[in-house]
Amino acid sequence: MAFRAVRHFDYALLLLTGALVAYGALLIYSASLTAYPEGIVGLSHPVAKQALFALFGLAAMGIVAWMDYRVFRQMAPALYVLAILILVAVLVMGESAFGSRRWITIAGTQVQASEVAKLLTIVALARYLADQQHQITRVRVFLTSLALALLPAVLVMAEPDMGTAIIFGATWVGMVLVAGARPRHVLLLGGFLLAAIPFVTLAVLGDYQRERIALFFNPNSDPLGGGFNILQAEISVGSGGIFGKGLTEGSQTQLDFLQTPTTDYIFSVLGEELGLIGALVLLALFSALLFRAIRVASLARDQFGRLLATGIAIMILFQVFINIAVNIRLLPVTGIPLPLVSQGGSSLIMLFAAMGLLQSVLLRHRQIEF
Amino acid sequence: MDPYLEPKGRERERQRARQGPPGRGHPVFALLRALVILLFGILIVQLVRLQVVKGDDYARQSEINALREVQMPPARGLILDREGRPLVTNAARFSAAVVPGHLPDRGEVGVYRQLERLTGVTTDEIETKVAAGIEKNGRFEPVTIKADIDGDTALMLRELEPVTPGLELQVEPTRRYLEGPLLAHVLGYVGSISQDEYEELRDQGYLLQDYIGKTGIELTYESVLRGRPGKKLIEVDALGRELRVISERRALDGSNPVLTIDLDLQRKVKETLEEFTTDGDNAAAVVMDIRTGELLAMVSLPGFDNNVFSGPLSDEELAALVEGPGKPLLNHAIAERYAPGSTFKTIVGAAALQEGIASTGTTIVSRGYITVQNEYDPNVVYKYDDWAALGALDFYGGIAKSSDVYFYYLAGGKADEGFVGLGEARVAQYARAFGFGEPTGVDLPGESAGVVPDAQWKEETIDQPWTIGDTYNFGIGQGYLSATPLQLIAAVSAIGNGGTVLTPHLLREIQDSHGNVLQRFEKSVRRTVPVDQGYLDIVKEAMRQSVADGVAKGGAVPGVEVAGKTGTAEFGPQHVDGSYDTHGWYVGFAPYDDPEVAVVVFLQRGGGGSDAAPVGAQILDYYFHGPQLAQKPEETE
Repeated sequence: MAFRAVRHFDYALLLLTGALVAYGALLIYSASLTAYPEGIVGLSHPVAKQALFALFGLAAMGIVAWMDYRVFRQMAPALYVLAILILVAVLVMGESAFGSRRWITIAGTQVQASEVAKLLTIVALARYLADQQHQITRVRVFLTSLALALLPAVLVMAEPDMGTAIIFGATWVGMVLVAGARPRHVLLLGGFLLAAIPFVTLAVLGDYQRERIALFFNPNSDPLGGGFNILQAEISVGSGGIFGKGLTEGSQTQLDFLQTPTTDYIFSVLGEELGLIGALVLLALFSALLFRAIRVASLARDQFGRLLATGIAIMILFQVFINIAVNIRLLPVTGIPLPLVSQGGSSLIMLFAAMGLLQSVLLRHRQIEF
Repeated sequence: MDPYLEPKGRERERQRARQGPPGRGHPVFALLRALVILLFGILIVQLVRLQVVKGDDYARQSEINALREVQMPPARGLILDREGRPLVTNAARFSAAVVPGHLPDRGEVGVYRQLERLTGVTTDEIETKVAAGIEKNGRFEPVTIKADIDGDTALMLRELEPVTPGLELQVEPTRRYLEGPLLAHVLGYVGSISQDEYEELRDQGYLLQDYIGKTGIELTYESVLRGRPGKKLIEVDALGRELRVISERRALDGSNPVLTIDLDLQRKVKETLEEFTTDGDNAAAVVMDIRTGELLAMVSLPGFDNNVFSGPLSDEELAALVEGPGKPLLNHAIAERYAPGSTFKTIVGAAALQEGIASTGTTIVSRGYITVQNEYDPNVVYKYDDWAALGALDFYGGIAKSSDVYFYYLAGGKADEGFVGLGEARVAQYARAFGFGEPTGVDLPGESAGVVPDAQWKEETIDQPWTIGDTYNFGIGQGYLSATPLQLIAAVSAIGNGGTVLTPHLLREIQDSHGNVLQRFEKSVRRTVPVDQGYLDIVKEAMRQSVADGVAKGGAVPGVEVAGKTGTAEFGPQHVDGSYDTHGWYVGFAPYDDPEVAVVVFLQRGGGGSDAAPVGAQILDYYFHGPQLAQKPEETE
């Protein structure tokens, strides 16, 4: 990579990423005070682990940014096969938690397969749509790209992990639209899906998903069981008010009323302890991050880079939206982490790698540099 | 390029391809930016709704979540006898319980096995109970596996509790009555608050799991004994575990009522009474300070042990106490009324003196009976018996020999001899003046009012006209008249204490837990009888003669001059030989010169002079001379 290309490196994107990870670390610290009352005394503390993962992530980002993103275009079919393989592996030999299989152990480290598969699928989709750039309006291309996204989505849904499957879908829709597919096709598909909802509810959704949807509409039907999380998250966020109760001062968080407060429900911790102001700061950081990612897409010199950046932006956008919407009772419960903020190594390293891809696209956005 | 494309489609495809991929500023990126703003906008709207519009509601809910108000029960007050000897203590009652929500996952059988080993309740039974408990009260309400486990088992459970999740040793306060049957009727007992009591008392801070005085002193002085519960505001986590105390108001322990009862005298009275009572019969005796109304002893037979109410009590056991022979739960000194018999002659005598019907010199001859002709048919003659042909008697003799004929004259008169009696209305009037026919106001629940009959009463109650025979029976304390032993002692005491009918009472004073006197019970005069002191003194002298030289000789106490009166009241169906079962009564007070103590003895089956009077004598002897003389009569000075 030419040295002069480094001036295109987006420091703002890096800073925003770092700021979100640091924001998350503060919240993880507060949310794990009950379990670790002494604070950070060893590497087993969630914040220490998260920091370590962030360092790995930074390294991954550096490597990916340094590599020419077009290398991934060449590798895309292999990466896609890898994604499908690990998703199948997790179903066959994965470890379960909260009623679903999501983790496989690779070299002693637990890896959340769907996190890795998300990024790999984006690369594969970007490659296919870029390849078919000139016949993008054709139904065959549209359906093939759909199949590419659908296969991992179905595997993820079988874990079951409805939330991540939805992310696959949303990312695909965004990418085909940006690629230039006919909006009519997307609308038709949307209409078809809408019509299929009753059948899907009956046939495809597992008991636990139906239960979750039922609880979303009436959490008081089981206030101490499945509805507990929904109600307590809502109470946490609401009780934070405008200014919040102060970091480490939230009674809901500190008294264990929230389940998984460092991961799926970390936004409830933020809502309670830092209030509306804290939430607006978070959304401002994410908006800026997403705008920088969209900027990368608009500057990309080829269709592959453009679609890659778009896919990453849309993936992050929908993860943020769905995660927060679940916390504030706009959507039924789906286990999706808040990107860069929630505790979790797989997700964090994947996102850093995605940032690396964005930088790589940006660094090479002009073929000729004078 | 696909050669099979329709021309129109191909044309459009070309145009699109010419446009090239979307570049910077292409509308699709503006759309993406708009999507970010739209989605985040939706989130912000909902956040404002939750945090600003309804923020206060949620803040309150989070407080309710985290804070619990816990009641801290006060220690119930103790009850002491007049010498300060404790009559009851607070003890603990242990139960083994399981909190289903705290049981280890898949490890509950281990906990059940340990419980089975300690309590003997089988694993299957425990499982059934736990399942039923979850069904009824949810997973975090303790399920009692075995109530009233013994202290050793409780100790073992206490050691297991911290290392065995889900296991819980429950400790409830209970009352242990140190003297059991000796004071059961006086002290009463406590029990779980009933639904009705709870509805009535919830405003005073009673809880559904509270214990409350059910009868006796425990009931009368419930408000004194209970104290004030403390309150503690604690912070709890999602599992309900206490994390820290936010504010606390200490419980105020109950105060200690000091009774007027003398434990030693009470024991002596009970022993003596039992000696003269057949098993299953009722009997009662009361010793009262004639000057103040303080009750020094109160015994009712058959007795029961009020400690049985501190443990589990089967329906059969309870039925035996309520319905069994002699109705053991009833305090026969206050709750049931009986014909007072000849003891009532003291009241009729005082009335006759006051009303000028009789004087000390009024002499009447008892030939063993009197006859009365039927008002409408002179050929029909009714005969009213005396207990013996006692000959000519003056007023003193009439009482001392307890002549029925003498009191037939005083009460009903003898028309054919021109002797005008008091008449039923005046007898009733004086009876009421001495406190008959209404509760004495003693500080115990369940007191009977007794009956003072008159013409109107008979008309209303049994729809028959009053006859002269009714007046004769009334005059000797028989017929429709009925009274409790406590009413009788209160009435007769008025003869010895200058004419005041006192309210008998069991409470001497109330002390706080440090022994400081909070309140002292002063004597309370219920009525002053409308009889001149002189006439009262005449009746008193007659009662002295009754003990010294009359039918109440059995009531004599060595070294003390006693005034007393016996009664033998017929009751129940007539036997084949024409006789009746009789209640035995004795009421008296001493010393004659300056009376300080009165005693009443009631035996359901017995004679006044033969049985009741000796009981009274032994009680008074013990009162004046203590156990030394009573136990060693051979000792001389």
